[in-house]
Amino acid sequence: MRSFQFVASRVLGAVATMFVGALAVFLVMQAAPGDPALAALGESATPDAIAKFRAERNLDAPIAEQFVLWLEGIVGGDLGRSLTIAGGVSISELLLSRLPNTIFIGLYAILFALVISLAIGSVAAVRRGKMVDTVSTSVAALGVSMPDFWLGYVLIFFFALTLGWLPSYGFTNPGDSLSGALVTGLLPALAISAPMAAVFARTLRTALLENTSRDHVTVARSFGFSKGFIFRHFIFRNSIIPYVVVVGLQVRYLLGGVVVVERVFGVPGIGSLMVDAAFARDFPVVQACTVVFLTIVLAVNLTVDLVCAALDPKRIR
Amino acid sequence: MSSSKKGGVDRRVLLQGAAAGALIGATAPWLGATAAQAACGTLRAGITGFSVINTLDPGKASLIPEFYVLWGTFSALLKFEEGMALTGDLAESWEAVSPTVWRFNLREGVKFHDGREMTAEDVKFTLDRLRNEDFGSPHKSKFEAVSEVRVIDSHTVEIETKEPFAPLLSYLTNSRTGSQIVPKHVLENGDADSFARRPVGTGPFKVSELDPNVQVDLEANDDYFVPDQPTVKKVEMPLIPEESSGVTALLGGTIDITSTAPFADVPKLMEDPKVKVLKSGGLNTRFVEVNHRQPPFDDVHFRRACSLAFDRAAMVKIVVFGEGLPANGLIPAALSWAHSDSPREMVSYNAELAKAELEKSKYGPGAEAVVLTWGAGWWKRFAEVFVAQVNATLGTALRVEVSEANTVYSRLRAGDYQASIWGWLGLIDPDEYMYEILHSEGWRNFRGYSNPELDAMILEARGTADQKVRGDLYRKIEDVMLVDAPVLCCFESNVHNLMTPELEGFVQLPYSAYGSQLAAVTSC
Repeated sequence: MRSFQFVASRVLGAVATMFVGALAVFLVMQAAPGDPALAALGESATPDAIAKFRAERNLDAPIAEQFVLWLEGIVGGDLGRSLTIAGGVSISELLLSRLPNTIFIGLYAILFALVISLAIGSVAAVRRGKMVDTVSTSVAALGVSMPDFWLGYVLIFFFALTLGWLPSYGFTNPGDSLSGALVTGLLPALAISAPMAAVFARTLRTALLENTSRDHVTVARSFGFSKGFIFRHFIFRNSIIPYVVVVGLQVRYLLGGVVVVERVFGVPGIGSLMVDAAFARDFPVVQACTVVFLTIVLAVNLTVDLVCAALDPKRIR
Repeated sequence: MSSSKKGGVDRRVLLQGAAAGALIGATAPWLGATAAQAACGTLRAGITGFSVINTLDPGKASLIPEFYVLWGTFSALLKFEEGMALTGDLAESWEAVSPTVWRFNLREGVKFHDGREMTAEDVKFTLDRLRNEDFGSPHKSKFEAVSEVRVIDSHTVEIETKEPFAPLLSYLTNSRTGSQIVPKHVLENGDADSFARRPVGTGPFKVSELDPNVQVDLEANDDYFVPDQPTVKKVEMPLIPEESSGVTALLGGTIDITSTAPFADVPKLMEDPKVKVLKSGGLNTRFVEVNHRQPPFDDVHFRRACSLAFDRAAMVKIVVFGEGLPANGLIPAALSWAHSDSPREMVSYNAELAKAELEKSKYGPGAEAVVLTWGAGWWKRFAEVFVAQVNATLGTALRVEVSEANTVYSRLRAGDYQASIWGWLGLIDPDEYMYEILHSEGWRNFRGYSNPELDAMILEARGTADQKVRGDLYRKIEDVMLVDAPVLCCFESNVHNLMTPELEGFVQLPYSAYGSQLAAVTSC
């Protein structure tokens, strides 16, 4: 019963956040200066053509009316049609064609970040103060401080332009060719994962060290359990909770990274769509992308809450 | 088939092959493009610096990337050659029947992509559609002078204008005026939305796929009326929003040619043996737009003082890395028949004269004004260089405000600005520079500038059929205009294409004939 209440309250909270978020995004987009008609019709558009464009798309209606219409559409599963970036194309269709690319790159990046951080974090903690620890914590510090778009250009310079191992631009849809997507997605995923891996590794190292010096570990040692057994059951298990929380929190930064890195590498995903739509004043597309991002962040937060609750039942109160 | 070409391609195939082999095996499908490219089955022509293609209906299109595709998909009655000379496209010949009537004899046997023959009915349909109020074409104003389009027989058409209207021929070219001939039989009853995505034209390429915001795919039109064109079977045109990414993509072998190049990279790329750089003077004008309805630019002496207070050659060097020419008016050098080469005082740096004009102005040194700009690249530098020079010469307190392009444009149209850097691209006829930018009724005249004498001269030039006489008139108009300093002319920039050394046959035109010139590519 308690756990049902816990889940229900989290889900309701997420829905409420969605609504507030959607309203905020809508208002911000409406407040943004510029005109979609100018973006669609170009510099040489005549005032008549602009007026016609706005009238046909209901852009002159009161903001409240536009918001209600938009919200009704979303609840009914209709995200509307693109104004400028893909004139008249259904936004759901656009998102569906783009989402797999973004999800693929995102998961690819998380996978890299997890593998790298678990290895570096654990080794650094076990070999605390040794050379390995110093090197890996330094690399982690470097990883955190490198902006992902800059790292992206560095990776392109070395792996594509200098060595010629990987393509410098463009992305193969995983639906067309999984191997192609793995190769073309390698550099973008690396660029996004580096800062995340660094944060994950540091968190894991700190948590592992903290748990190593706790009383129950000392007691376990006095019982004569093997080092490996103690690490797995008494240290790692307890350290993994803050790690999972940080992984969950980083997903929102991951989405930020996706927006930038997709553009650098020419990945046709939701991130690059959103940037282009914002420049072209395609309000409904930006709003739809934001709602998708919001949904992903809330879903991940919810999952993290639930996973942490499962790992540590005391958290449910 | 030079040996260097072979070497280049082989090495590229080898490198990508090595990478593929190392990672997952050499038969991966994304290598298809590379293998095909050796035989030039697929030309990968990047649309660089742009991300939006809204419509491929010529009557509705207005953005440059849209026309990059349309130039290769459609034909018009006429087209421009090198040097901006007119030549026939769908029209075999044309003549003036009277000062207000032009007759065009159409090429026989030209087929639309769906196999139907193109006739005079299609020409009439195309032009009537552009003029139709309900259709709402952004190009409508270009054809307002037309009073009637008459079909004489299946391959002869006459266009009558209300008054003699010399720019008409320019507006009927395959350029950015929307006059590409569209099929009556498809559009009369068909679905305009589906036409906008899969247009049917008479050009060298057919659109096979439009992935909005991502890529346009073309395939060769085997019935194209120009013999032996196109030689390339397929063209992929990815939209690459960052120009610098376009350079990376070219250097990394992902594309064969770009539609533009970042000014800053051009000097370095010129020395790179892996890249061929094409450049020529462009059909564009860059200036500082000033608002005559607000101080301090409401005062002609203040405007003149500013126009005399900065060095345009230095501006070209710093802002576009030498990739351009100092302005000598609004009409660029590429429109040589109307452009003036003789130095004009009002657009030459002269500190003494500038200060003398400031003396006469009601605003002295210390006058304040905001100059709008956007971005972080050369547009921002443009404003900064202008402001720094003018302030240094005159002691004024101009300052730069960085905004965003769409916002600045909205503010210009609303008259909510003091000054802003600005410019126009791809204007093909002097009438666009003069009537549209300077005439009291011109739609590009946001500043409220009005000089009845100048208006009359512009209309006279419009009605003058003889190109030489008309060109001289424009030179006079610019002399008169510069005394008023309605805008502060700055410079015109070069147009660029970057390509792999293997690519041959592409000819660059001043207004950028990107799509249509792809048909002339012989190897890549």
